[in-house]
Amino acid sequence: MAEILRIIFNSLETGSAYALAALGIVLIFRTSKTTNFAQGMIGALNAYVAAYIALNQGFSVWVVTLIALFTAFLTGITIDTLMIRPAKKVLPVSKQIITLGIIMIIVGIIPFIFGVNNFQLASFFPTGSIDIVGATLRFNTIFVIAVSFTVMAVMFWFIQKTKWGLAIRVTASDEQTSKLMGVPTATVTMLSWAAAAMLATLAAIFVAPRVSVYPNMLLNVQISAFFASTLGGFSTFLGPVVGSYIIAFLRNFTSFYISDIWGNVIVYMGILVFLYFRPYGIFGKKPQKKV
Amino acid sequence: MKLFMRMDEVLGKLGAFFRKVPYIGYSAFFILLLLIPYYHSTDVISSGQLGIFAYIVIITVAALGLNILLGYSGLISLGTAGFVGAGALGVGVFLELGLPFELAAIATLIVSTLIGALIGLFSLKVEGIYLAIATLFVGEILRQIFTTVPIFGGQSIMIGSVTLLGQFELSTFDQAQRRILFVVIAFLLLIMMIAMHHIVKSKTGRALLAMSRSSSAAQAMGISLMKYRLMAFSLATFFATFSGIMYALYNQSVPTTQWTLDLSLFIIAMVVVGGYKSIYGTFIGAFIIYGIPNLYLKELFGDVSFIFSGVLIILVILFYQNGVAYLATDIRLLYYKLKRHILGGARGKATDD
Repeated sequence: MAEILRIIFNSLETGSAYALAALGIVLIFRTSKTTNFAQGMIGALNAYVAAYIALNQGFSVWVVTLIALFTAFLTGITIDTLMIRPAKKVLPVSKQIITLGIIMIIVGIIPFIFGVNNFQLASFFPTGSIDIVGATLRFNTIFVIAVSFTVMAVMFWFIQKTKWGLAIRVTASDEQTSKLMGVPTATVTMLSWAAAAMLATLAAIFVAPRVSVYPNMLLNVQISAFFASTLGGFSTFLGPVVGSYIIAFLRNFTSFYISDIWGNVIVYMGILVFLYFRPYGIFGKKPQKKV
Repeated sequence: MKLFMRMDEVLGKLGAFFRKVPYIGYSAFFILLLLIPYYHSTDVISSGQLGIFAYIVIITVAALGLNILLGYSGLISLGTAGFVGAGALGVGVFLELGLPFELAAIATLIVSTLIGALIGLFSLKVEGIYLAIATLFVGEILRQIFTTVPIFGGQSIMIGSVTLLGQFELSTFDQAQRRILFVVIAFLLLIMMIAMHHIVKSKTGRALLAMSRSSSAAQAMGISLMKYRLMAFSLATFFATFSGIMYALYNQSVPTTQWTLDLSLFIIAMVVVGGYKSIYGTFIGAFIIYGIPNLYLKELFGDVSFIFSGVLIILVILFYQNGVAYLATDIRLLYYKLKRHILGGARGKATDD
């Protein structure tokens, strides 16, 4: 029982990081029509900012998180204005390769500014835990899960209930028409990039205490987020979040109960088989195609 | 005016000749490649630089396969690196089992191509980004298997010297033999280029093109979607695996960890930057993406060379969408435009191309 609870808490924590990253990926996919392979790298860049300031100025992790979120906002806006908006007419595949270019630029910038060493970033609650039927639940885990749920709830509220959320949804469904209706699609896309960068940064700061801060720190999270988005369905905002938690649970359970080596392989195979029968994910709808 | 007539005559004949006998172009390209081991900026090329050129030659084959998918079929694969790794590591494993190199290569190609065909089957159901991520799944599954399953030997597989055709033993650690190995992989590239040429100019190539424009229209013309999707993915994996085998042949030691999504993205970048549907362009793309940063930018800028390569990729995509391979076509168009401008409208009809 304790083992199962431990795995559940663990999965909720990793699932939260996946979900934050996945939400950013879907946001960009819907508004810019590209898969952003640089999502993880953008998060890592801003995690570097946080860790660097924490180390040199001695600020607490709370303060540096706020600073990093602000720089993430700026990163998102910069990337959108300099690289994504001029590429409006570029083929979708070429657009994805632009995000590869962004990865390379960030990989080049990081040692230039922060040096080649890895950084450490403290967790929000380094100590303190409660026992639930024998399983230890750290305060930090509770905090990460709670913050992620809150952030996602706010995001959903924003997308579903506010005027700007409506703008995001209409831009996602048809950019041309929205533009004709007077929706400022350029601003919407820019804000989506900013929001995605902030979500990635949050995910990076959440996983940082466990993996330390280095350029590829979010690689695993990002790939899982892609898988989660596919499993949940790219055409909704809820799907990827649900997919993230499902993938986190499946991975943890299979690697614990079946095999450490084959766990991931089994999960991926399972999802592939699932996708064969439901090609557009759990929540996804088949896009209508005109001949 | 006479000059133009003369130029037209020469260029037109030359172009027609090359189109008629494409082997000449490829062979000339092959001979140019052969010069690399012997002549470079310094009198003899260093082993590191030769290694970079070899890598370009090797990865071009994988990129050619991807060009069949991206350029001709309009499909995408994010799992290319996985299959390159499968080729390299597969040969290693079969060699350890005691098979001769050629048999090991054929066995690897068969297994890998079958997996590729499975993805093709999958692509009948799944489309667009879902298909892209599905191929990423396959790539990740392969990567997981390479890095965790014991038969692949942890960090890397050592192959050691390779015996070709049962009698030529070649080791990459000997300078003279390394050059011969380079000639061998350049020759393999030549074969793959010619193969690609024949594939895309054949019924298959036309069917793939039709499919990429509109799958419904292609079906209406009697093109079997199933057959050609399977074909496209099998070919792409075949090329990728082949490139992996070339890697094993040249480097003779294969790491297990480098076959990641990043490499797949780089291979896509080679196709995008070089030019969709262009055979030479794919090589140029590989040279720009891998060669220029490693051969020149690193010396000039050191660690920050990554920034420059990233900027280079983005600039080419933003300002030269078709890819570098179409530079020649654009120059030709510019030439015709210039000519028409100079000659005036009188001979406009004759210059329509």
